[in-house]
Amino acid sequence: MIREKETTLYLGPQHPGITGNMMVKLKVQGDTVVKATTHVGYLHRAFEKLIEQRNWLNAFTLLCRFCVPEPDPMELTYARAVEELDNREVPERAQYIRVIVMELARLQSFMLWYAGQAGSAGLYTLGQWSVGDRNYILDLFEELTGGRIYHMYIWPGGVRRDVTDTWKDKVLKTMDYLEKRQDDYNQLMFDNTIFQKRAKGVGIVPKDKAIEWGVVGPPLRGVGIKSDVRIDEPYEVYDKLDFEVPTAEGGDIWARALVRKEEFRQSISIIRQAIEKMPKGDYYNKVPNPMKWVVPEGQAWAKTESVRGEIGFYVVSNGTNKPYRVHAKGAAYTHGVTVLEKILPGQNIADISFIMNSLGVCPPEIER
Amino acid sequence: MTELIKEQHLLDSLTSAFKIKGRVIRDRRVEVFADKKMVSGILLFAKKQLGFIHLAHMTCIDWIDENKFELIYTIWSPIEKIHLFVKTKIERENPEMENIDSIWDQANTYEREIREMFGIQFPGLIGEQDFALEDWDEMPPMRKDFDTKKYALETYYQRPGREDAKDVRETISERSGTKVPDFAKKYSREK
Amino acid sequence: MINDKDSQKIVDYIQNFARKQSLFVMAYGTGCGAIEIPATMTSRYDAERFGIRGAATPRQADVLLITGYLATKTLKRVIRVYEQMQEPKYVIGFGSCTINGGMYFDSYNTINALEQYIPVDVYINGCMPRPESVISGFVKLQELIQQGKADNGKKYRENLEWYRTNQKKIIKNWKMPDYNW
Repeated sequence: MIREKETTLYLGPQHPGITGNMMVKLKVQGDTVVKATTHVGYLHRAFEKLIEQRNWLNAFTLLCRFCVPEPDPMELTYARAVEELDNREVPERAQYIRVIVMELARLQSFMLWYAGQAGSAGLYTLGQWSVGDRNYILDLFEELTGGRIYHMYIWPGGVRRDVTDTWKDKVLKTMDYLEKRQDDYNQLMFDNTIFQKRAKGVGIVPKDKAIEWGVVGPPLRGVGIKSDVRIDEPYEVYDKLDFEVPTAEGGDIWARALVRKEEFRQSISIIRQAIEKMPKGDYYNKVPNPMKWVVPEGQAWAKTESVRGEIGFYVVSNGTNKPYRVHAKGAAYTHGVTVLEKILPGQNIADISFIMNSLGVCPPEIER
Repeated sequence: MTELIKEQHLLDSLTSAFKIKGRVIRDRRVEVFADKKMVSGILLFAKKQLGFIHLAHMTCIDWIDENKFELIYTIWSPIEKIHLFVKTKIERENPEMENIDSIWDQANTYEREIREMFGIQFPGLIGEQDFALEDWDEMPPMRKDFDTKKYALETYYQRPGREDAKDVRETISERSGTKVPDFAKKYSREK
Repeated sequence: MINDKDSQKIVDYIQNFARKQSLFVMAYGTGCGAIEIPATMTSRYDAERFGIRGAATPRQADVLLITGYLATKTLKRVIRVYEQMQEPKYVIGFGSCTINGGMYFDSYNTINALEQYIPVDVYINGCMPRPESVISGFVKLQELIQQGKADNGKKYRENLEWYRTNQKKIIKNWKMPDYNW
């Protein structure tokens, strides 16, 4: 065997395979990665500093930009933390609406994942389909909230606008359509030999180390550990809905893909149940004048399940009309740095973007 | 929610092993206040003995009025399904904290970020000095006495027109020659 | 070579016509606006109708799309990417934060006006701009190209010193190759 010289390779920040704007510095021997170091900060906008300058409600415009592919969990998590600090009740109808919004956000994020995961294996047709169909969900969001990507819809004490019956019908129709379409996606992805050969046995997260490394969400379920914030610490009305948390064995890209495939189904089922069970009533409890709203002193930690895993917000109030400190921890914070650095050595350079997509690395969430 | 047996039991086992104070906040939430030197011991004990194997998050708060930094370690037990907050306060002058990345590898990332954003040193921390910033030579930016607006105004080019947008209603009324209605005046930002 | 003026006009017309019909967009998601690019490029909005498609490397790209806020760390890379692109090259500032900082006007780590650092042909406002407005921005750029007004590469070369002064104000540790195109 010819022993190759070790070379340094900079992957990113401008690289079409990287999931966003970040850099992985690699030491490679031939095609094999020996050492990987993540460099972030290309998207650092100082959110946490800026939120300290805004008042409690103005923070929402910043919050939803924490992670672009899926902004709603950020809003919900912060809102829940503020509700805990301020002892605000949320009407039941609002809780159902929140669940629907969260699951719609999850679905559209899954469709981006389908595109990214297949695209990084060279299957570009799937991206055209799923990202095209994703527009149907964004249309629903637009009708409900006024924005395609950023909604600023959930706020402490409820949601901003009520849902109409026509909107519900549209949601149900879209769900029927997506359910049919998902079979097409799966056929392109899971029945494809290229995908199977590339995904099986690549990017393995070891089961015994997974929790210690901070793996959460689908990658953790992909190693066979049943962990989901929606069942571990049920929030909103998830405990009243009937859904399964799928797991798979192996911890490789294939296992994570299987988990996501099944979660897609579960999300559709949750939305259908939530629409059926949604009671009549108020959709928000009144919030004081946002300019003068003072939240009592205290500290609160809230977490929810996003498509990449748990998202937690630590919110500190010192009894003024501005947050004293807001710290957000997204799943990518560990997936993009520790986990990526640990599982890349030994892998092929060509598989890196494949692995990053399957871990759900989202750079704006890491550096905020 | 009167039955917080699990939480109380956890608090008891911690307070009996260490001389610390703590309280049960609500269901699934327990916090303990520890001395700086005891933190790594508590974390190791919680991880090995009590099953808190997941470091959910770690953060720092700048209490500038008290002249202290507060460090918060949030750990989660997948079996008990409880969050445990280990909180400690350290001095704001020459802040230094024990490095815990031998307990959890991922703590390395948090500590690098805190080192950069608050200037807290973690002796023995491996990793490049820069985390998110590059060539930063000001005060660590997340400290409360760092004024981000002043810095931005001094450093970056400001396009004229933003000062105009202080109160949109008045600007529009000046431009169009109409009066601001009385009901709108009470929402003015100037007051 | 062609010496007479009228034939030069015809050549220019054909050249500009060809250039505007094939805009290769640099695949560099510099900010959160990058999320609308897949939507713009795929089946519903299908930007390829206008000859807009992605290019993986700066040398092959015509358009640099600055999708949103620029952190100072990215600015350095953007300048490097821009300087590597070959003329004719165009820049589109995408989103409010490239125009005046948008909601990040008081952030210590993002620049507020893009055209201070690299010349910008078209701005698209909004946060986030819809795919329709992205396409309308591209159409505007195509008009400028057809009229021969989009020659910012030349402008950058001629005013390099002014741009460098601005850039070096932000980027403290300037270690980059000289611009010698």
